[in-house]
Amino acid sequence: MTVNSNDTAQLRPGLWGTINERYPGVMITKDDFIPLAHLKRPLSEARLTFISSAGVQPKGTMPFDVVHPVGDYSFRRVPSGAKVDDLEIHQIKYPTNGASRDLNVIFPIERLQELKAESVIGALTPNFFSFIGYQMDPATFESTLAEDMASAVVADGADAALLCPA
Amino acid sequence: MSLQYLKEAVANNETDKLIRYVRLHLGDGNETAGREEIDKAWIEALTPLLDVPTTDRAFIFKTLAEQDTATLAHLFFHLHFYFVQRSGKWIHDGQL
Repeated sequence: MTVNSNDTAQLRPGLWGTINERYPGVMITKDDFIPLAHLKRPLSEARLTFISSAGVQPKGTMPFDVVHPVGDYSFRRVPSGAKVDDLEIHQIKYPTNGASRDLNVIFPIERLQELKAESVIGALTPNFFSFIGYQMDPATFESTLAEDMASAVVADGADAALLCPA
Repeated sequence: MSLQYLKEAVANNETDKLIRYVRLHLGDGNETAGREEIDKAWIEALTPLLDVPTTDRAFIFKTLAEQDTATLAHLFFHLHFYFVQRSGKWIHDGQL
């Protein structure tokens, strides 16, 4: 965020249209064919995980590194049963004032807990997963953070993942 | 900018590309804002020293002597953001 955000204005319109000009080489183009994974059971019987680039983390864990010029390639486990008051955001690259008032606008943990309680979702994985979306090395991002987090998601027994960019 | 882009700039001594990247990083994608952020940090670093208070120089020398260059460089970026935030003219949402 270059300007402290408010709730109504579109900040930095046209941002994405100029990103390759401002950050040459940072946009990732993938030519690999990655087949879609089909859900093997109804959502009401599936175990869902949530993956977010919002920089949400349990209080007391090492803050995401928002100052490093090349980025942070780590992720945090966020217990799916956590209370919002036990979580915080460490990120300065997107407007967080709305999320600071209600974390669910960027990290809808309470909505997912409710959907689980209402049996719309069969179960939640023990952990959700969060990282920050500022990495200057796409190859390292893919080979470390993405691979490590994917392994953690599998270990948590997820049938489906809800992905949410910040 | 990709890491490869930055490494090539270092190899070719293209310092204009490197400082532009630093300004973009510190200014959240706005090079002019980044330049102003650098100025803010230096003013915040200068101001507390004008009355020549006692400082912990032993800590400074110990840190410089014992820490590796990468850690010190990382600290340098931390100090930039720390001083800009301390100025009260924080252009970012969120916290470090």
